[in-house]
This record gives sequence, structure tokens and C-alpha cells, in this order.
Amino acid sequence: MRSIAEINDKLQRGQGTVLTLREVKARIREVGIPQTAQEVDAIATGTFEPMESSGATLNLGHTDPPIKLRRCWLDGVPAYAGGGAVDLYLGAGQMAERDDTDSPAEDTQERGGGHVIEDLIAGRPVHLRATGQGTDCYPRTTFETTITKESINQFYLFNPRNLYQNFIVGINGGDRPLYTYLGPLQPNFGNAVYASGGALSPLLNDPHLRLIGIGSRILLGGSVGYVAWEGTQHFPLQRRLPNGTPVGPAATVALIGDAKQMDPRWVRGCYFRNYGPSLMLGVGVPLPVLDEAVIEACAVADEDIVAPVMDFSIPRRVRPVFCLVTYAQLKSGRIEVDGRPVRTAPLTSLYLSEQVALDLKQRLLAGQFALSEPVAPLPSDRAFIPQDSWSGQVSLDT
Amino acid sequence: MKKRVTLTFPKHAVQMPIAYRLAKDFNVAANIIRAQVAPNQVGKVVVELLGDIDEIEAATEWLESKDIDVSSASREITINEESCVHCGLCTGVCPTQALTLQPETFKLQFTRSRCVVCEQCIPTCPVDAISTNL
Repeated sequence: MRSIAEINDKLQRGQGTVLTLREVKARIREVGIPQTAQEVDAIATGTFEPMESSGATLNLGHTDPPIKLRRCWLDGVPAYAGGGAVDLYLGAGQMAERDDTDSPAEDTQERGGGHVIEDLIAGRPVHLRATGQGTDCYPRTTFETTITKESINQFYLFNPRNLYQNFIVGINGGDRPLYTYLGPLQPNFGNAVYASGGALSPLLNDPHLRLIGIGSRILLGGSVGYVAWEGTQHFPLQRRLPNGTPVGPAATVALIGDAKQMDPRWVRGCYFRNYGPSLMLGVGVPLPVLDEAVIEACAVADEDIVAPVMDFSIPRRVRPVFCLVTYAQLKSGRIEVDGRPVRTAPLTSLYLSEQVALDLKQRLLAGQFALSEPVAPLPSDRAFIPQDSWSGQVSLDT
Repeated sequence: MKKRVTLTFPKHAVQMPIAYRLAKDFNVAANIIRAQVAPNQVGKVVVELLGDIDEIEAATEWLESKDIDVSSASREITINEESCVHCGLCTGVCPTQALTLQPETFKLQFTRSRCVVCEQCIPTCPVDAISTNL
């Protein structure tokens, strides 16, 4: 029907038609799949949710005399310094260490790598303290300064696992409150938390990753980014419904993008009480309408996608699954588990997800954002390997 | 008229059947929003008084004559629109559905009149956007 080059050409000339995912679904209901495929050139999808497996690579620039950083704290948050002399990696989920700042213990605890990344992107100054190894070429052993994004060389996000294709629903069947990466779960089925946009989640509308691959240009934190690799825990072999959508966490992608260009509105440090810090991130993914099959996949509705309800009161790798619920049920605010009604709340901001999609749509329409062909497909055959070093399950036959 | 007040009881006044007296003597309906009362301890009750303006005034005077502190500056939840990301996590812990998501846009909406100031939303918010005004 159309190639990516043709779509880009149309967008450049200001003649392309772009709809957000929400708008496309409405259009499909109105005029059907074939006509929507005729009308629409590209679809803007977006999500805004906590993505803990994110972090920033920073290069400080060399000091004089030079230092080979081996330990480093940014506003009290440890950054990994085991690579090149002044290269750092700051993980979003890294907690601040108490002894480095004068602020009260509670405040310090609630800050982490995600907040430091947000501060740097917002242009705020960040305190840096480091110790070095002391070698003939890097004699200096301590260093302390204040940095901003302007005073360092590279500052880019490299996120090992983003954009989960579906997720789980957390619930607490125990008798005490639990503090989890899904926020607080109240005892005796007090609440349930889901963490995917369902039918509006980007990868659930390209279930077999036909359109998204390594090298796909995306919108990361309000600026241009790319799919760098398969994400960690990428599990495309997850069981799937006949419509292709997985029944639990499946595909993931690793994303990369220049943090210096990002907008702090779309990169927000966050903190889950008694769990730890994280990073909320806006990611926009354009889907080129190459043929009718693209629109067919985007016709998927919240009624057609399910997620497993898991009991967090069993702190094991395999938690009991109560049932599968649809995103239509989850978004209604109430599900039924074990015969009783349970309130649901999302963790993905469905409101800001749409705003990300609208932002991407505007950029596409203005010819400021070109779609890219993937340079390689994401693997479709990755197994999910558990870490059982002590259980002797390794087979020697193969 | 309707007036929301916070009553602070000294230890010796905790035994008094306040809601009954307000209704019987002053014709004032006392809707208890939130209470923390135990024998031999200072008690705190957030209550919505419903009645004629004169009757509420008389009731307030009577309460004060019994050493019960009546404060109209009741605690209220405030949401920082700038930092809220509308994730909706707070809506799952709100017991009175004062915090809800608009069904169409999924934007967070706060219905103050339903809020009982239980404050469970405050530590739940991942971006520290909810606080009390006191």
C-alpha cells in the first residue's frame, strides 16, 4: 500500500494524514479497517509510565590533573564508574545514600537516580563527589564539583528495558499492606494496580513487532530517540491470544536518546514508598500504515487484551495468578477477584500517554519527525530463563 | 448552613455524647467525617455541622464552654497541578472516591466534598504532588 519512504515524502510535503492511536480506533469503528487504511499514513502512539530499567550515561570531561573515577555520587546518588576514566552510568532506580548530604534522612531516602536525571534535564545544577584510583596517567584521587547538562560532554539515556508489551496486575491477598513497584497494595484484596495502557499501549498494537525493530526512530522524553536493541527480559514467546496480544509481560525494547534535548515534562523522577525511586518516562512510537494488516492490529480494543492478576503476598518468583482480566474491566475501576469486587487503579498515566501521542502527531504532521526503517528485526524467539544456579537443572545433553 | 470543623476534646470530655447533644439541644446534625477518640486520651473529630446559622453558633459556644476546641481551619488535601502526572495510583487507595479519573480523558479529578482527609493518598503519590494544607 505505502512504503516508509512514501510516507516520509508525504509528511515532508505536508500532505500526510496522521492520527493518534485513540483517534485511529475511533475511525476504525466508524468506517472500518479498509477505508481507515486508505486514509491514514501514520499512527502516533504514546505512553507515560514508570520505567525503572532506565538510566543515563554521562561523560564529565577531564579534570586537571586528571582523575580515573572509580566511585561517584551525584546529589548523593551513587553512579557506576567502572568504565572509562570520566564515564558514568546513573541508574534511575538507584537510591541516594544518606551520609553524603545534610538533608534529613527521610528526604534523602525518597530521592534517587530518576530525580537526578530529571534535575539535569531541567537544567538544574547537581552536586558531584568522586574518588579515583590514582595511577601514573590519572594521579588525582578526589574530585568535587557542581555539574549541569551544559558543563558535561555526553548525557544520554540508555534504558535497558522500556515499553513493556503488556504487564501484570498486582493485588494483595495477605493481611498486611505491601509496598511494591506497583505502589501500595492494601491487604485483603484492598486494591489492584495495573501498569499498561492496554489497547493504547504502543507494542500491543504491533503484537509481533512487524513495524518496530532495531533502529526505529521514536520519541523519548520529548526528543528524538531510537530502539537500540531488544530489551532485557524480552519475552516474545509469552502465550498469546488468537489476536496476537500476549497474556502477560512479553516484548520489551532498549531505548537510547540524547537527554540534553529532552523535556523535563516527559522525564520525571518518582518514588514508591518503601520500595524505592524510579523514573516516569514519556515514549512516543510512530507506526507506519504500510498495509491493511497494520490497521487490523490497531483495531484491538481493551476488551480484547488481558492481564494476569497476581498475588504479591507470596514473595516468590512465580506468584499465584487469580484470573485473567481485560483492560476494559481494569479501566472501569473495578474487577472481580475470587468472587469479590476490587477497586483498580492504573500506574500508567493514560492522560499523559495521549498527550505524548498528540505531541508525536504534531511533529509528524509538521514534517519534523521522519519515520525510519528498522535496520534489524527484534528477536522473536527469546525464552525467559530463570536464575536457578543451585537447583541443578542444567542439562548436559545439549 | 453546612460547616466543617475540627473538634479537639480534652481527656475529661471524651465521655460526652456530643452528636446526641448537638442534635437534641441545638437541632444540629453532626456528620462525623473522621474521628480519633479513645478513653483517657485527647480526642480529635472532624465533623460537618448542618443546621441554622444561629443554632450552629450556639452549638459552637456550648462546645467551647465544655473546653472543646472548635477549629474551622480543618485539614484539607491539596493537589499540585504542576507536578501531578495523572497516573491515577491515588484513586486506588482513596476510600471515598474523592479522587477519581475522568472516564473519557483519564485526567485526575478531586471532589473535595467527598474527601475525609484520611491522607492515604499522600504517601501513595509517586511524584509527591499531594499534601495537606496544614
